[in-house]
Amino acid sequence: MPANAVTAPESAPLKSPILLIPLSWFVPGAGHFLLGRKGRAAIIFGTVLLTFLVGIAMRGTLFHPTDNGDVLSRLIQFGGYIADMASGVFYFAAVFMGYGPLDVAGYAPDYGAKFLVAAGLLNILAIVDAYEICTRQKD
Amino acid sequence: MKLDHFETTILFALVCSVILGLVTKKTDEERLRYGLYCFGCFMAALFGIGWAMRLLHG
Repeated sequence: MPANAVTAPESAPLKSPILLIPLSWFVPGAGHFLLGRKGRAAIIFGTVLLTFLVGIAMRGTLFHPTDNGDVLSRLIQFGGYIADMASGVFYFAAVFMGYGPLDVAGYAPDYGAKFLVAAGLLNILAIVDAYEICTRQKD
Repeated sequence: MKLDHFETTILFALVCSVILGLVTKKTDEERLRYGLYCFGCFMAALFGIGWAMRLLHG
């Protein structure tokens, strides 16, 4: 090896974003785990799971696209549906197990719905972070 | 699960601050500081808006 040879810094091997993004979406933190950031992966998984479970425990409603109502209502329903689905496996597990909130009065179901949406939005932030690590835009 | 408004907001601020701190900065120290900063901002907004509503509504 020549004396002036430049050696590449030690870092995680580059993964394909095509695989990484859907995997990060389906299992929160999986992208970071594949990129060797196991501590961050565990924190992301735990935080998204906690947020989603709090939403379920508060009997929050899951949004569904609807054709009823005005444009703003439909937009809110559709946006909420996308954000709910962004939680990945947690959303599908809840739907598969037939989760349906009880029709109870009070503020708790409203907060619960916000927690369910927040879980998905936090996972989207984690997906973007995994993508940036994957494309070497950040460490 | 029955949490009051304050407990719910604290919990929401906590989970958001954790993720925001984790994904925005480069070193662990910067992440911790930014997470704490975000949590502080949530708390300032919580108490600020809470007092504003109390004063405006009477």
